[in-house]
Amino acid sequence: MCVANAVAAKASVCSMTNTEYADYFALFGLQSGFFIDDKALAATYRELAKDAHPDRFVNASAAQQREAVERAAQLNDAFQTLKSPTQRALYLLRQQAELPEETTIEDGEFLLQQMEWREQLEDLQEQADLAALAEFVRELKQARSAIDHAFAICIEDSEQRIQAERLARRMQFLDKMFYEVRQLEERLDD
Amino acid sequence: MAYSDKVLDHYENPRNVGKMDADAPDVGTGMVGAPACGDVMRLQIQVSDDGIIQDAKFKTYGCGSAIASSSLATEWMKGKTIDEAELIKNTTIAEELALPPVKIHCSVLAEDAIKAAVRDYKQKKGLI
Repeated sequence: MCVANAVAAKASVCSMTNTEYADYFALFGLQSGFFIDDKALAATYRELAKDAHPDRFVNASAAQQREAVERAAQLNDAFQTLKSPTQRALYLLRQQAELPEETTIEDGEFLLQQMEWREQLEDLQEQADLAALAEFVRELKQARSAIDHAFAICIEDSEQRIQAERLARRMQFLDKMFYEVRQLEERLDD
Repeated sequence: MAYSDKVLDHYENPRNVGKMDADAPDVGTGMVGAPACGDVMRLQIQVSDDGIIQDAKFKTYGCGSAIASSSLATEWMKGKTIDEAELIKNTTIAEELALPPVKIHCSVLAEDAIKAAVRDYKQKKGLI
């Protein structure tokens, strides 16, 4: 086995270990917060992913190869978490305190809105009206943007933790709405 | 994932789908949601003066298990007193529908909807 490669691999694995991924923002050299520089995140990820790629460890020991694979997966997890605004919001909340994965919410006003949106989406499906669907998507995006901006403020203030959590949960529902909208768009395209 | 026959039955023939006037004094409304899967459930009960649930309606946007759980909940609630209805447990719903572990949260959502509807009714009547 090539000694030079093994040493390089070990050094690389060790430097990765040192980051410990305790803070995803720090890992990508970003300032912690809801709004981030997406382009900087993607660029740094590509750099780190190159260094962490398991192919670089083909000559390393089995244990080091395993660690390299694990590190690459963790790096990818960290990237995916920060890339998705909703996952990023949940991550910020989890950094502050425990957050249950599955929970029941009783955010009445918002759930009522959800019901209305779902009904609207059903109607849109029947009408197959692309212009109306585009208008609906605009409305959803506006709602999402308002939630994002409110969350960015709340997450910085520990006294507004409950509100920040409520807003992050709303993001999750909106993600689902956008998913359903995309599915409908695909069906209408066919 | 393969749904049980009971889930499929409720999914294909949901019982008591509908909407009641949420402002009516004898109607209790429970609105609950599960953020992880985006499911939204509305469960309503119409209660007589002696505290017996005369009618129950639901509307659920979610997976088959969530629809079946709420459909079954409305069936079970009818004819019960509000106090009896509150005792319906998610585990009983999950068992009846043979829900797999990953779908247990759907039955939890239904139980939470029952509790929310009963609580809304009790609040309207000044019982709590």
